[in-house]
Amino acid sequence: MPLDDEAIAEIYREHGPMLRRVVWRATSDANRVEDIVQEVILRVWKQAPEADNLRAYLITTARHLIVDQHRAAGRRPQQAQLGEIAESDSALDRALDQVLVEEALGRLQTNHREIVRCLYYERMTVAETSRRVGVPEGTVKSRAYYAVRNLRVILDEMGVTR
Amino acid sequence: MTTGLDDLHVMLGAYVLGGLSDEDHRTFSEHLRSCRQCQTELGQVSGMPRLLDLAGPEGGPHLTDAQVGAPVPLITEPDDERVATLLGEVGRRRRRRRAWLSVVAAAAAVLIFAGGAWLGPQLLGPSTPTLPTTRVAAAPVAGSQVRIDIALVTRGWGTQLDVVCNDMPTNGELALWVIDRSGKATTAASWRATPAGSSRVTGATALRTNEIQSLEVRTGTGRVLAAAQT
Ligand SMILES: [Zn+2]
Repeated sequence: MPLDDEAIAEIYREHGPMLRRVVWRATSDANRVEDIVQEVILRVWKQAPEADNLRAYLITTARHLIVDQHRAAGRRPQQAQLGEIAESDSALDRALDQVLVEEALGRLQTNHREIVRCLYYERMTVAETSRRVGVPEGTVKSRAYYAVRNLRVILDEMGVTR
Repeated sequence: MTTGLDDLHVMLGAYVLGGLSDEDHRTFSEHLRSCRQCQTELGQVSGMPRLLDLAGPEGGPHLTDAQVGAPVPLITEPDDERVATLLGEVGRRRRRRRAWLSVVAAAAAVLIFAGGAWLGPQLLGPSTPTLPTTRVAAAPVAGSQVRIDIALVTRGWGTQLDVVCNDMPTNGELALWVIDRSGKATTAASWRATPAGSSRVTGATALRTNEIQSLEVRTGTGRVLAAAQT
């Protein structure tokens, strides 16, 4: 059963910005971003996956579309060197994973995100983080624990499994 | 100061992210040696620093003060207008739907295969061993000599199906079918036979591994070549 118009509009509003970032970062082709995003949503509409898989499904579809177009645009099959394709695909994958990790961080609860920022990106200690955030060290530790766990769940949901 | 068991488990987070004091680090390392629960959980999240590094030294737009999404250009039209464009396109496609339904379904399957087959080694190379994977050999039906091994890899979105086939037909189309517990069959990949009679392809299904009853490799005309129970 195809999703109805309202559902499509809803997918677009909710996931459009994330998809645009993913596509932009992976392709660096401003002219194609909107086309690809719309095509992704149209395909997903056609195949009407279950709602709980939607985000992963959108991302997987975007990945396929980008790789497909990347190849079609780049070279004729007989010119393609295997290594060259593999190399550019893995660069593409890194670009996609980067955006997905950033998205995942954006979906963390604010107080968990803050802890990841202090402990990981700013290399602060638990004690320093406790002073910065104004919560006991035990709270920093338990937030760090749940932040890491939730991040893993969000990334799994997006299909980032490494 | 006493440290309860829950306080110990919970240190896993800061152990992975960094920031434990030397004393806590020693305490947790010691606990880790004997705690199966923490060992398992660490296995699931030990790749986290490498992933976090992908977001750059500051963790990307959500962690810095930069406006989220700012680098994406060309977002000048209001969203409503673009939604209208999208819905207009949906209407057009819906009218054409019957005509190209079968063609697109086939193309989508090929696309999934193409993406999976190329990306497979890149995406899965080093991480494959850590993903829960079930391997099955599909038994050839009477009169068929094919050799087919299928790995079912549990992914966030469903199950990835890595298929290695040998001694296959050398022309025509081939497809991997997934049959769920209720007996419903869907295609998870389709590909063209090769003159060498062997291929490696990757398919995908939204079904979770434990929802898959059996797998079949069939020809384009629907003849079953081999089947595997999971
Ligand atoms: Zn433990």
